[in-house]
Amino acid sequence: MTGHEMTEPAPDPAAGRITADARERLARVADTLIPAGAGLPSASTAGVHTGLLDQVARARPDLVPPLLDALDALGDASDLAAVERLAAEAKQAYEALTLVVAGAYVMSPQVTATLRYAFHETEVVDPRDTLDAVAEGILDQVKARGPLYRVPPDAPSGHGS
Amino acid sequence: MRAECDVLIVGAGPSGAVAAQEFARSDMKVVCLEQGDWPDYGRARAGHPDYELVARKHWAWNPNERRNVGDYAVDDTESDISALMYNGVGGSTVMYAAQWERFQPSDFRTRTLDGVGDDWPFDYWDLEPYYEEVERQFAVSGLAGDPALPSMTPPPLPPFPLNKVGRRGAEALNKLGWHWWPGTNAIATADYGPLRACDQRAACPFGCPTGAKASVDRTHWRPLAGKDVRLVVRATVEQVVLDERGRARGVVYADENGARHRIEAGVVVLCANALGTPRILFNSADGSGIANSSGMVGRRLMTHPFGNAIGIFDEDLESWRGPLGQYLHSLEFYETDRSRGFVRGAKWNLIPSGAPLSMMLTTMWGDQPIWGESFTRLLRERLGHSVIWGVICEDLPDADNRVTLDGRPDEHGIPGVRIQYRASDNTRAMMAWHIDRVSEVLDAMGAKQKILNPLIPGIGWHLMGTAVMGRDPEHTVVDPDGQCHDVPNLYIFDSSVFPTSSGTNPVATIAANALRCARSLVARRRDLAAAS
Repeated sequence: MTGHEMTEPAPDPAAGRITADARERLARVADTLIPAGAGLPSASTAGVHTGLLDQVARARPDLVPPLLDALDALGDASDLAAVERLAAEAKQAYEALTLVVAGAYVMSPQVTATLRYAFHETEVVDPRDTLDAVAEGILDQVKARGPLYRVPPDAPSGHGS
Repeated sequence: MRAECDVLIVGAGPSGAVAAQEFARSDMKVVCLEQGDWPDYGRARAGHPDYELVARKHWAWNPNERRNVGDYAVDDTESDISALMYNGVGGSTVMYAAQWERFQPSDFRTRTLDGVGDDWPFDYWDLEPYYEEVERQFAVSGLAGDPALPSMTPPPLPPFPLNKVGRRGAEALNKLGWHWWPGTNAIATADYGPLRACDQRAACPFGCPTGAKASVDRTHWRPLAGKDVRLVVRATVEQVVLDERGRARGVVYADENGARHRIEAGVVVLCANALGTPRILFNSADGSGIANSSGMVGRRLMTHPFGNAIGIFDEDLESWRGPLGQYLHSLEFYETDRSRGFVRGAKWNLIPSGAPLSMMLTTMWGDQPIWGESFTRLLRERLGHSVIWGVICEDLPDADNRVTLDGRPDEHGIPGVRIQYRASDNTRAMMAWHIDRVSEVLDAMGAKQKILNPLIPGIGWHLMGTAVMGRDPEHTVVDPDGQCHDVPNLYIFDSSVFPTSSGTNPVATIAANALRCARSLVARRRDLAAAS
């Protein structure tokens, strides 16, 4: 990770605009969108309404206003039918809600570890992988067929296939 | 008035970069105007938890969604395919997948061989030395000897590892007896000049944080800017100004505040892509248009219809890792076989499927509902367990597919563009046939589930053809060296000049042709100087 052209995003006050009540309502609808299953935690267990939400707000403060719009539009409703109505009636708010929930969820270390999604681990290429496979014969039958390309009639001499 | 520069280049993408470097090496005084700014790699967050969230905003492919500095409105409501581009230093190489493909010999002779499109005014072998040269400029990695192409000098760097995904694809193609070859990419597989060896973050089209991908902001502009070339960013060219003899005198551009500036130049070279170049030509002469006695400016827009086939596997293939980029390509069915019901062909390439949001919040991964009980199951099934075959179809020119000015000016009073584009019956038949074949490859790979996406409307990365080159001034806009027939010191070096599109990625040919044209211009200048 050394030497890469990265900077940490500056802290943003957007998360401070999300009230405790809004976080609770987000937790409910997030668990509707992502309940526990397949060995993975529910959205609220992963923390999409707490620390992960703060990370999302820091990375994408522009998502906070439409997220709050979505939560306002949903009110106390948190079932899938209500979310589907939101998709039809307030597309931007729906897209922000679902992006925040899914985006926060896949930021969870618990989730990524369970999925063996080691996004933070780099692996510098080793070109020997392909060269070794070629030496072992993986391309032999491709080479044996000879040229595939068509030669136009006005090609310079010596370029026939 | 004395010109402020020998050459003024409009656009800092691949053609502008290659040309600028060539002009600077010939001691010409060069200015380049770029409407966008330098890429902000601080927002290239691959390797961080918030990578995809940030990428979806700051590295959005569609300029209408991204709305970054330099992005102008593209009205695509009358188009089957959205036009994608990056407006900034580096142009679309900042976001390209860096799949490096030379066009095939037959691509330059579609009229002769298949009775469609038009022959290019030069052939593969004329362009070959320029391909070889730009492959060194672009840190190309790959393996020589591909039987789908004439023999060539090996690229400067060795190929990418096949990894689990590539190996599985290669074995399947071997089982079927079909062509494949390790992928050729403009991505460094070892430290090379200003580039570092790729560390496989699968982030190529979303801002390479490693500095491994050969985008021309890194390979060309950083070494050139401020030293050999004056590069002005946030400078949107409004029009080319002609003198009383009909020669280009320079350009007028708007700065970031909308203030107009004029730069005089001996020669103007447009490198603004197949939408931006006709936009400038139409808007010149105070909106009357220039260089269009043929009536072909803006016409023959080609976009390379793109489809894909996704395979999902039981095994963990670690397919969130790797180059994007291509592990391998296949040109098995590239050349025309009329028994298939269409002419020309398509290229296939195998890539890893990438990061989680790209496969969950999308319309390209099938129609299964993702929310509720299915979310965790689908996420587990897909992430790391999936691969994508991309299919690029050759797009034949049609004069009715075109770019025009949009009547609604942008914030600086400069019109955006409207595109009218319909995929032809030939294209649709070609795509359907190729997707069926790629589906067979997924079967041979052992995919437990397949998702097939013929002709994806949101992906039109390869924009070509809107200022066609040729020898006949009545039917073409520029001559074979990019010189406008109507305006002798106005040149076009970008993919607007392509007579046909090939069915492979165009950047190699954009760069090679720009180098060929730039060298021709330098030679003409020397000849003129010697004669005077």
